[in-house]
Amino acid sequence: MNRTLNVVRLQLVNKQTYIWVPLIVLGGAFAITLAIYAIIAGAGAEGPMYGGGAQAPLWYFLVVGIQALTLTFPFSQALSVTRREFYLGTLLTAAITSAILAVVFVLGALVEYATNGWGMNGWFFVIPWVSESGFLIAGLFYFVVAMLFFVIGFWSATVFKRFGSMWLTIVLVGLGILLVAVMWFIGVLGAWARVFAWIGAQGVVGISLWGVLVVAVLAASAFLTLRRAVP
Amino acid sequence: MTSVIEVKSLTKRYRDTLAVDDVSFAIEQNRIYGLLGRNGAGKTTVMSILTAQNFATSGEVRVFGEQPYENTRVLSRMCFVRESQKYPEDATARHAFGMARLFFPRWDQPLADRLIDDFQLPTKRTIKKLSRGQLSAVGVIIGLASRAEITFFDEPYLGLDAVARQIFYDRLLEDYATHPRTVILSSHLIDEVSNLLERVLVIDRGRIIMDEETDAVRDRAANIVGDSAAVDAFVAGREVIHRESLGRVSSVTVLGALTPADRARLAAAGLDVAPVSLQQLIVRTTQHAAGNGVGESAADAATTEEGALR
Repeated sequence: MNRTLNVVRLQLVNKQTYIWVPLIVLGGAFAITLAIYAIIAGAGAEGPMYGGGAQAPLWYFLVVGIQALTLTFPFSQALSVTRREFYLGTLLTAAITSAILAVVFVLGALVEYATNGWGMNGWFFVIPWVSESGFLIAGLFYFVVAMLFFVIGFWSATVFKRFGSMWLTIVLVGLGILLVAVMWFIGVLGAWARVFAWIGAQGVVGISLWGVLVVAVLAASAFLTLRRAVP
Repeated sequence: MTSVIEVKSLTKRYRDTLAVDDVSFAIEQNRIYGLLGRNGAGKTTVMSILTAQNFATSGEVRVFGEQPYENTRVLSRMCFVRESQKYPEDATARHAFGMARLFFPRWDQPLADRLIDDFQLPTKRTIKKLSRGQLSAVGVIIGLASRAEITFFDEPYLGLDAVARQIFYDRLLEDYATHPRTVILSSHLIDEVSNLLERVLVIDRGRIIMDEETDAVRDRAANIVGDSAAVDAFVAGREVIHRESLGRVSSVTVLGALTPADRARLAAAGLDVAPVSLQQLIVRTTQHAAGNGVGESAADAATTEEGALR
């Protein structure tokens, strides 16, 4: 256990990757979004403004998930860390940083509600259908989304490390084809309305829990792949 | 003597090559071993299987009597920084040592600091900006300061200048004297490390072709130098592994220890005996083995293979 916690410290020794860069990405996206809102508001536009800028740090989590494996795994092997210790410690690091990100988003949303969108009806952290469900549920949602991004990156990197870039490409293309096939099938059945109704019925909690399931499946398959990976 | 590593019939097959071919050996506690052989002979593969970084195709590996794979008890007592070790992006040498300190129970920070000074390693520069020699120094420092009970050094001197290499050899011996441990040093600079080694394992094309005490290896052969006719008379009936001639003078390397009677005979014939360096002996026996196998003459092999062994 102690060594697993040390893997968290190993991942965090260089604070740049996990702490500073995500904060800069978030802060940068926030500043740019607010500046654009200010320009729009200055032009006399009415009505609420929403932007997708808050996604930026989530995409960075994808990169972090990849780097946590490709760059830190080989060194962890030199430090005689077992694959299980590395895996658990790395996921724990992701969970901690995702939780920090979720807290930042929830606090940001609180401030936005309190200031009515920074005094200009401009919303960065608030996603109406999520934030309206309450802070705990919104926090859970942000946490799961951040973890999902991380695990997708981490899982892809394990497949790459173990089987090489060709197999990673084949798997990703395969998943893409599968997704298109499912969409085509839904279309053939004329079931799109029912699909959207089902998604709507899940609510934020339901969607978050489905996200947890996807995270768990990807994480488990990443572990099985990592068990036989060579640095 | 207790064995800390036992290897039985270890085989590693990559798609189309046999990297390690049915290898068996044992490593005893608190001794310095040389794992010698040409590039691509299988040295790194063997070391990475012993440390569970890589997987055997078949065969058995026991370290401290246990399977090393996913075994914290065993792994935490070993250190293997590979020659082409990758480090986290943007990590500095200082970060790398900070990380190593977390996982090696016997890590010695004052020793690490002293080695940083000795090698004049810039600790604030990111590792990807270090030169090849500085990169090797990072690996050497982790290996020495970890004080792991079994420490592997994989071609640790690449890019290091002569002074830095000497520092490494000196520090290794100093620290080994005060903190005995098992050291496995892979190298193709055989003569340079030969004074450190108590025992040599020579690996060639995935097979162990020599597993002997260094002193015994040195006694295994001698160079007989002198008038060609007299040399030929002396070596008749002995196993000759190398022969060079210049004019009427020949230098012939023969296998087998020389008896006092042999020495008397040599003195009477006016022939000189020159010691064979460990490197020469290993090069010659490796060529000899290869030559027998492929049916080419040892002399032909000498020019090509000696160069490759560097």
